Amino acid sequence: MKKLLLAVVIMTIATASYAQTYTFQNIRKTSHRSSDAIKEGTDVKGYYFFNVTDKIDKNTNEYTLSIFDNNLKVLKEIKFQDSKDISILESSFNGTDLIFLFYNSDAKTFEYQIYGADGKKKSYSYTRQLTKKEKRYLESTYLAVNDDEKTYKGLYPIDGRGFISNMPSREDKDYTFQVDYFSTEKKKQWTFTPTEGGKKFSGDYLGYFNGTVYFEVLRFSGAFDQKPDSYIIGLDLETGKQVFEKPTDAKYRFYPASLSVLNDGKAYIYGEYFDLNDNIAKDKSKGFAFWGIDEKGKILGEKYNSWDLELGKFLDVNSKGKITDFGYMFLHNMVQTSDGSIYAIGEGYKKVASALGIAATLLTRNSNISTIKVKVTDMMMIKFDKDFNVKEAKIYDKNSNSVELQSGYDFVSGPLIAKMIKYYYGEFDYSYTQINKDLSSFTVCYSDYVRGKDYKGSTFNSISYNEGKITTDRINTKSNASRSWVLPAKLGQVLIIEYFKKDKQLEMHLEKLN
Amino acid sequence: MTKPTINTGLKLILILLFLAPHLCAYNQQKPVYKFQHDDSLLKTSYFKEASDQQKKLISSLDKEFKDDYKYIYESRFKEVSGLLQSNRAVTDPVAHQYLQSILKKITDVNPELKTLQVRLVFSRDWWPNAYSMGEGTLAVNAGLMINLNNEAELVFVLCHELAHFYLDHSNKAIRKNVEALNSAAFKAEMKRISKQEYNAGKQLDSLVSLVSYGFRRHSRDNEAEADRYAFAFMKRTGYDCNGILTCLRLLDKIDESNFSKPLVLEQVFNFDDYPFKKKWIQKESMIFGQMGNDDSPLAQKEKDSLKTHPDCENRIAFLTDSIRAVEAGKIFIVNEPYFNQLKKDFLVEMTEQLYRDKNLSRNLYYCLLMLQDKENLQFAIYSIARGLNLAYESQKDHRLGMIVGKEGREYAADYNLLLRMFDKIRLNEIADLNNFFCRYYQVLMTGYEGFEEEYSKARKFKTQ
Repeated sequence: MKKLLLAVVIMTIATASYAQTYTFQNIRKTSHRSSDAIKEGTDVKGYYFFNVTDKIDKNTNEYTLSIFDNNLKVLKEIKFQDSKDISILESSFNGTDLIFLFYNSDAKTFEYQIYGADGKKKSYSYTRQLTKKEKRYLESTYLAVNDDEKTYKGLYPIDGRGFISNMPSREDKDYTFQVDYFSTEKKKQWTFTPTEGGKKFSGDYLGYFNGTVYFEVLRFSGAFDQKPDSYIIGLDLETGKQVFEKPTDAKYRFYPASLSVLNDGKAYIYGEYFDLNDNIAKDKSKGFAFWGIDEKGKILGEKYNSWDLELGKFLDVNSKGKITDFGYMFLHNMVQTSDGSIYAIGEGYKKVASALGIAATLLTRNSNISTIKVKVTDMMMIKFDKDFNVKEAKIYDKNSNSVELQSGYDFVSGPLIAKMIKYYYGEFDYSYTQINKDLSSFTVCYSDYVRGKDYKGSTFNSISYNEGKITTDRINTKSNASRSWVLPAKLGQVLIIEYFKKDKQLEMHLEKLN
Repeated sequence: MTKPTINTGLKLILILLFLAPHLCAYNQQKPVYKFQHDDSLLKTSYFKEASDQQKKLISSLDKEFKDDYKYIYESRFKEVSGLLQSNRAVTDPVAHQYLQSILKKITDVNPELKTLQVRLVFSRDWWPNAYSMGEGTLAVNAGLMINLNNEAELVFVLCHELAHFYLDHSNKAIRKNVEALNSAAFKAEMKRISKQEYNAGKQLDSLVSLVSYGFRRHSRDNEAEADRYAFAFMKRTGYDCNGILTCLRLLDKIDESNFSKPLVLEQVFNFDDYPFKKKWIQKESMIFGQMGNDDSPLAQKEKDSLKTHPDCENRIAFLTDSIRAVEAGKIFIVNEPYFNQLKKDFLVEMTEQLYRDKNLSRNLYYCLLMLQDKENLQFAIYSIARGLNLAYESQKDHRLGMIVGKEGREYAADYNLLLRMFDKIRLNEIADLNNFFCRYYQVLMTGYEGFEEEYSKARKFKTQ
């Protein structure tokens, strides 16, 4: 403290700073949860840091919420008092307004607070009271997962108007999901929760187009239903009422992953497809499908590209969809560029024998290690033209890493194991994909580990598209820091955070990717 | 003059103090531009004088609060050494002699200043400021000099800094603040707070605010007093005291732009074969994007505090009546043509120093302004080519962020656009841009030392 004040005394000899680094002093503990990127879609617009700065009484803390822009310049520091049990779960930006989701674990409440473009907190907020059952369900789903892509999380921005929230929910014995709309124009909210015709529902937000919010829904008749109904629903943004429900079983069973509006102003959904009788949790996909769809749910066109025919021309693919050495592809994301081209980004995985698991099984009857393990292999990018024909497919080499599995996985299908690796083990190297608003460039980021002559350690890698050109880049992230991690930054950049335990110092710096 | 004001909290002050030595690291690269000829004997003698004084000061310290004083004085001496031992200080005999002549005009008519042991230099630093370190070293930055209109304004700047030194403001402030931090009352309060289980942070914040408010208020009082004394010193010199008002008005707006018109990137980086890409400077949605539009008195106060020279309006109001009451003097007495020449030279000197200090974005900003105004044209073109090559190499190694700044509310709008451009431009685009830039100016640059080398580098990068 005294040194700090002495520093004030000699502040007159300080010179102006111009580098884009920021340092926090006197940080004793670090946690991923207390800081995050604030995004508008995939684009990072800033960062928040949420810290306890004082204890007011045994039940109350003083908190400081520091908001930085994406150049690491301080925009605002907000101090407030609240229960010691609150945390921030999510944030999002819709081009004008900023939203934070606060969770009070003791009172079992969610509170959505909104800050306007003028930096002032709106006079209204939105709250949701959880039941004990809902809380328990969320603790095993939404609150348990913290992967970079925020798979089970979502506060999706609707440009200048509000935010769509998608969260797992539970009503008595039914497991479902809850969609909320929070307006930022005035206090207005609606909620949609599917409960009819099934016992269990899962929903993925696809996108927003012409006043309609699109969701992909899986409806399970019971807890052990292996062949759920798959369909798309459209919700009216103004009222929250369901506009349409469209089954995705047509020629094939289609499982859309995302929605994009193409240059001609039409909405397209795309993702993997399966045979009609396939079990999407177990069976391999047939390839990629694209559907044109309007705001009333009318299908305007369909296109299917199979692994063995269309994709096989570019890759060494066998009839089971397995690519030699690469294994199977787990689809992480799909993006579309301004020329209409669509890129699918995936990562390879294959099942191999586990020496550790086999030895453990031989030595002890009750080994809890599986005799197979999963080898996570390379990255892959597939390019489709605007008519959804495969134009190119390329594998990007990286070091493979192995994931030992618990016993019982020996006979489980590859795709299901891949989902476990992604959501449970978090062992894929893929980090995230960002695309800019005018769709002229995107960046795919993933981590790797290099054992080279010049460098041995972790790396952060990128595959970037800019105006038709693809480039790759690598940043060596090994440093003298006690801990370091990478947060997404604005498109084409990353924020590297390094914690120096000895100096109780947290350093952040932005780096551009090439 | 006041120092760069940093009001974003005590943490930032500490950060700046930690960062400052690293940011000023001197680049060992061989310069193509030749600086004015510095007088190394003068530099050595100034440094020795400062060094002897420092040793005397440290050895004379009482036991009481010795460590605190030592910490502050050593930090201060580090800054003084940084100026006098680097090529930041201008000791070219002609420039130095000119500055001493003006100083003499002031001290000759103000006998109380004659006994002061002053080491006054111009510095090649870019930020528009002048300062007294409190131990005899006074400096006028090139970044300020290029903006001044006449000797009368320069005389006010010198009188103000001499007043700080004459009144011993720096040392008095150090003593006052060290005593305050070591007072029984302060220590007792710290001890009491450290024992609190609840609200300790709030109480500590209040204490820090109270103490730092005291520091700031004291500093503002010192500025006002230095202005009063500067006026008293200046009115005896024969220089026009209206220079005080024009200088303060200039300082109030000095962060906006140093040139007649703002930098237009779309013009300086636009070629038939490689047109400027609007996406490089396209504005994006921002969190709290309307916060800067707030014109409330509080926001105005915040904007003013971000300036290099805050509080100018009050300083003008405080002195206006007194100045009107005295007879108008001259705006030039020593050497008008040399003053104007020095301003031109300092623009180049300062710009080159920025490159050596690895502040590439500022370096390129001034070079591009010179190119746009067709001033020092060949130097500007060569420096831009060299700067873009450095940008390419640095970005390739993920180090561009260490030499190029980021947009900020405290900067001029045209400088922010340049920073945005560096933020968005891709590696291959830097190579392409520099290649077309060099090609466009190739004929004009025939025979200019170093240009061909940069052009050939740019060509090589384009093919990578």
